[in-house]
Amino acid sequence: MSSAPEVVFAGTDGGAITDLAAYEAVGGLTALRRAREMTPEQIIAELDASSLRGRGGAFFPTGRKWSFVPKPDQNPRPHYLVVNADESEPGTFKDREIMLRVPFRFLEGCLIAARGIESQHVFVYIRGEYEHEWEILVSALEQLREAKLLGGVTIVLHRGAGAYICGEETALLESLEGRRGQPRTKPPFPAIAGLYASPTAVNNVESITTVTPIIEMGGAEYAKLGVEDSTGTRVFSLSGNVVRPGNYELPHGYPLRDLIHEVGGGIADGRTLKAVIPGGSSTPILTASEAEKVTLDFDSLSKAGSAIGSAAVIVLDDRCCMVQLGVRVSQFYEHESCGKCTPCRVGTRWLTHILQKIESGRGTHADLDLLLDVGDRINGTCLCPLGDSDAIAVASYVAKFREEFLQHIEEASCPFHGASSLDGIVAPTDVHEAHVGPHEIHRPLEVVA
Amino acid sequence: MSDGVKVTIDDREIEVAKGTGLVETAEAAGIEIPVFCYEPRLGPAVGACRMCLVEVEGLPKLQAGCTLTAQDGMVVRTAATSKRAAEGQHGTLEFILVNHPLDCPVCDKGGECPLQDLTFRYGPGSTRMTFAKMTFDKPIPVSPLIALDRERCILCYRCTRFSSDVAEDDQLIARNRGAYSEIATFGEDPYRAPFSGNVIELCPVGALTSTQYRFEARPWEIQDVPTVCGLCPAGCNIRATTREGAVKRVQSRNHPEIDGGWLCDKGRFTYPHLRAEDRVGEPLQRGPLGLEPVAWDAALDRAEELLRGARGTIVTALSGSETNEIAYGLGVLLRRGLGAHSAVLDESTSAALDAFRAPLSTIGDAELVVIVGDDDVVDRAPAVDLWLRKARRGGAEIVTVGARGSVPAPVGGAADALRELTDPAHDLGKRLRASERAVLVWSGPGGGGGARLAEAAHKLGFDGKPGCAAFHLPATPNPRGVSEAWAAAADGDESDPEPIGLLVVSGDEAAGSPDVRALAEQAEAVIAITMFHSLAVGWADLVLPATASLEREGTSMNLEGRLQRLRRTVISPVPDELAWLSKLAARFDAELSPHAAVVFEELSERIYGGLRLEQLGEHAALPARAAYVAPEPSRAPGAEAAQRAEGHFVGTLRLLRYTPLFSGHQVERVAELQFQRPEEEIALSSGDAGRRGISTGDVVTVRSNGTSVELRARVDRKLVEGVARVADEHAADLHAEVEVVKA
Repeated sequence: MSSAPEVVFAGTDGGAITDLAAYEAVGGLTALRRAREMTPEQIIAELDASSLRGRGGAFFPTGRKWSFVPKPDQNPRPHYLVVNADESEPGTFKDREIMLRVPFRFLEGCLIAARGIESQHVFVYIRGEYEHEWEILVSALEQLREAKLLGGVTIVLHRGAGAYICGEETALLESLEGRRGQPRTKPPFPAIAGLYASPTAVNNVESITTVTPIIEMGGAEYAKLGVEDSTGTRVFSLSGNVVRPGNYELPHGYPLRDLIHEVGGGIADGRTLKAVIPGGSSTPILTASEAEKVTLDFDSLSKAGSAIGSAAVIVLDDRCCMVQLGVRVSQFYEHESCGKCTPCRVGTRWLTHILQKIESGRGTHADLDLLLDVGDRINGTCLCPLGDSDAIAVASYVAKFREEFLQHIEEASCPFHGASSLDGIVAPTDVHEAHVGPHEIHRPLEVVA
Repeated sequence: MSDGVKVTIDDREIEVAKGTGLVETAEAAGIEIPVFCYEPRLGPAVGACRMCLVEVEGLPKLQAGCTLTAQDGMVVRTAATSKRAAEGQHGTLEFILVNHPLDCPVCDKGGECPLQDLTFRYGPGSTRMTFAKMTFDKPIPVSPLIALDRERCILCYRCTRFSSDVAEDDQLIARNRGAYSEIATFGEDPYRAPFSGNVIELCPVGALTSTQYRFEARPWEIQDVPTVCGLCPAGCNIRATTREGAVKRVQSRNHPEIDGGWLCDKGRFTYPHLRAEDRVGEPLQRGPLGLEPVAWDAALDRAEELLRGARGTIVTALSGSETNEIAYGLGVLLRRGLGAHSAVLDESTSAALDAFRAPLSTIGDAELVVIVGDDDVVDRAPAVDLWLRKARRGGAEIVTVGARGSVPAPVGGAADALRELTDPAHDLGKRLRASERAVLVWSGPGGGGGARLAEAAHKLGFDGKPGCAAFHLPATPNPRGVSEAWAAAADGDESDPEPIGLLVVSGDEAAGSPDVRALAEQAEAVIAITMFHSLAVGWADLVLPATASLEREGTSMNLEGRLQRLRRTVISPVPDELAWLSKLAARFDAELSPHAAVVFEELSERIYGGLRLEQLGEHAALPARAAYVAPEPSRAPGAEAAQRAEGHFVGTLRLLRYTPLFSGHQVERVAELQFQRPEEEIALSSGDAGRRGISTGDVVTVRSNGTSVELRARVDRKLVEGVARVADEHAADLHAEVEVVKA
């Protein structure tokens, strides 16, 4: 276990703090009281000093984002803080635990952030599937309200309805406004015209939760943790073929191999490490040897050709078929595509078809070239990064495990012969099958109960 | 240009006004940036289809050109000079074609299809997609007028955006997500709204097609004729598609000032009435067995006989739907030839609003619009309804003063409302005075053809403010043109003969009017010029067949006061009115040319300042404002007030009749439009319905002075108390005061 201090989960001792009095007993609300003595500019300055960068995946400096919100005298419209709790990036489940275990620290962060951007309205958009987490927040919010701590700020806890695309900030805003969850073109940017065409800051749950300890300890103090380009701690979601999957709060710069082998207990069942997806399915995959060398921060992962993304580390052992991985990941993007832009709507489905063809042993070398070319046509032409992510992820599997793809083609079958740990891990296909015409070419898929 | 910006596109430099979109900027330079989802009339660009991908210097990724505005110094490369952009556009087309069915041989859009055209220009010549394409059930009947093919749909969302952001009917939606997205209506109900047909023109592929035009023609065997719609006073510019001498469809011809490129469903889908079964195809004479066909020469002889016999006691009932030339021709025959100067027209007309005339598009840019009158604008002039919605989206405040208004007013209270507005102390009136972009609209009967409105506009200081305008919405398409052309034919005063020796009824509006029928009952003889058999049977002695506006060459004046040119789109099955009017006129020594162009020349010398037909052009201009001339005061100053004061007995309600958009003898004869016809219902205010124990859906008996009708009730929360509102065609002979009880 690491001996690094916990910041996000400080005071919880591995458990959850769902009672306001218990939260105050461990120092909760200190930051809020301090923030209420500060001006919005001072709050933003503290965030700047901390170099906190967005924890949702885009890693944009939080203080800078807030400074884009125009002052009330520049723009008469109300300001909104929107918190993106739509956590849906495959492999990511940290915000879930944050809301479950430190709901007050999170809500306190909402109130501080609202003050920072001079907003009286906070909307928390929680993915619909997080029903229990929503109930915890409702209860915590109620306790804050009864204790008259909201200070005139309205916090709305809004539940989503099952769409990954609503994690994209402008699609989230559309959904919040009651429309189809489809992204908007930028500009205009949400800071200028976001929710209801008004200045809006959209932040991730973990980012907001981290605001509280930053105000409490001071931004400069926070910046001492982690590494230069990625300050502070991060809650990493570790999953896959490890002994101890789970959420672990560690400082940025922590070696990936230590997360896997020390904290995570190593590869389960005595197998060997084959590949790691370091930051959620939208990030390029790393081979085992690459994974042994990187540290969990922006710089190191970028230099390795991947990204820190949503800090979701998916560990794959030698039983995993990379082509099946491609199929499953591409199915995810196909299923979640909002359908607004042509390359993503059509391209994700086409990529999945080609991958299925290769996996079923009916693929040709031309199909592999086609797979990469179609991916090229998708990457960089879409309205939002969803389509790009499918193309990027799949391209990285081919780049790093080309021999495996070639083996499928040349042996006209999957070399794992039904023994891959990803066998049968497929998307629900009843919706998919309904719209395919006669003479289905690819192998029909089955749902694993 | 002081506030122009210089942009370089494909090494060509062009200067455009600040704020010009990139697509228009390229167009100005003669360069195409291909688009599908981009349509500025639908609102800000969405950048959804990715067809318009271009390279912009300084930006790493390809950009959706339609979402960009020209910036000074911008350097852009389109597919013509950028391999990346060409690949991007090629890719978009390839993706669209991945699931697009090979329907071209059976698809109505073929030959006039942007997807075909752009694929030829920028897309792949063959496919790399070897998987099964997605299939959907097809065609889906979106409504009796529109067929949907989901396989062809490229999900550009133009149709759903039109439905929600222009017509604001919110009926056409997209449901599901991703590749399984589909266009649908809520709950599979038909798309029932006044402007639904526009999605057919908006759709860039054959996904939304007209059921009337289905499999009717191919683009290379049709002829499009430009003309103007003659079904309402807006006078939207249209294009009639004809094949082998028959009108096959009507499309918009986009006059940016009048219709903005939109058409209502009545203007678009009513043309089949030209081929109605009961169309009068030859002259009919009343004989012992009813109306019998008679040869043209015999008919004209009979007409001459009737006219001579009744000299001095002839009255003409005009319709506000004739062309100016026909009205003038009637005037030449009857007034010049026979001294029969008496005429009736269902509504008054006035030239007073010429001092405040402006394009209808002025409404779209207004900040404050006040509408007085009891009729919904969409029933009188649908194009105006769309401009109002545009204004509201732009932040304008729309105030309606009437029986269903945001400011409730008693029935017939429009004139009073105007009086109140012009009171210097009136708040809304003050805002109208202060504004540079205010519009007044009169939507209802009365008003002296715009005279009352002109007086009010003058008092409110609209003179000299180009952004301030006033519009009177008449009930018929061309009442002023008809009235002025009739008046111009000769000098001479009306005589109001009693009894009427001969009533000449011109046009179906008049033939269908209960007031004209009442006159006909008094008259000793009746000549009716009408299109449909049922309108003349039983009361006309001689029926001469009329033509439809799509079959007429001539001019008409719309509610703006704009003179527009109609062109004959197809040769009518019956002679043009001018043809036989000129023959008849000759028999009375009055000279009338059978050619509309020549008649127009003569008419123009008298009242249009010698304007030549060619000067009207394809998109007629609206002349500059005239100086204000105070109109004659209201002839019956208390007329409207008197209507209201008419004994409001306890328990009775004032009957408010209205003419819905989808009513009238033309619409009644089009099968596909029957689902748009008004329900047989009576609308009551919540208070009145509540007091009578009536809920929406209840069958009620509506009684007045010996007649009664059964209708379904509907509670209308907007309706003012004391009023019951019924479509004219369902109100039968009910009087002005009615009792409504649950059946």
